[in-house]
Amino acid sequence: MKTLEIIEPEKRAVSGENVIQLPFGLLGFETVKNYVLLSNPGEEPFMWLQMLDGTHQSFLVVSPFLVSPEYQPDIATEDTGFLGLSSPADALVVNIVTLRGGGQATVNLKGPIVINRHTLIGKQVIPNNVAEFTLRHPLPVA
Amino acid sequence: MLILSRKAGESIVIDGRIVVKIVRVEGDMIKLGIDAPADVPVHRQEVYEEIQKNNREALNQSRPKLPRLSANKPPPKSPAAAAPVAAAAPVKPKAGIPTTRK
Repeated sequence: MKTLEIIEPEKRAVSGENVIQLPFGLLGFETVKNYVLLSNPGEEPFMWLQMLDGTHQSFLVVSPFLVSPEYQPDIATEDTGFLGLSSPADALVVNIVTLRGGGQATVNLKGPIVINRHTLIGKQVIPNNVAEFTLRHPLPVA
Repeated sequence: MLILSRKAGESIVIDGRIVVKIVRVEGDMIKLGIDAPADVPVHRQEVYEEIQKNNREALNQSRPKLPRLSANKPPPKSPAAAAPVAAAAPVKPKAGIPTTRK
């Protein structure tokens, strides 16, 4: 079963249509630039940001606004310019979740991944107001 | 490490395309202005390193069982089947890229 889940997205991504390009990679993973974003039934609101480098490794991500409704990252003009964002509606924002064991999980609010919905080009940015956010925001798990 | 002395208002040029300017010196705090092309990422080292470390910890080799978020949070609006990309991810339109400032 697991194999099916993993292979499918890669097939879908072969067309190139749904590939998210992170020209800078993610911090610490600068060489991996192509990803696909997947959501599986029953796993909402979580999504998987899966590397398209053949390793099948992935990051668990979530919309930060679901876990921290007041979240307001102040994105540097250099970054909005690089991503070609002219309005907030153009941006898809996801943040990386770390599973901590024992059912606990935290989300990194310091380094959101901002993706242009139209071009599917994204970047893990460090907001101007990064000092307001925590690296390990606890998720309210049931 | 190359060590240079500079005064406020003076700059150094790196590789002919990156300019680092000493904007102001206030006690033990130095304000730097950095002009670099868009393809040169510039970060504060300590923030950069902690996000890098967090990313490494967060990487999943497989798909583990996920925790369920507790009920006091709004339920996800969309998606049904494994829908790639843009259609997924409910994002509040008003949030995300609020204001931009230098």
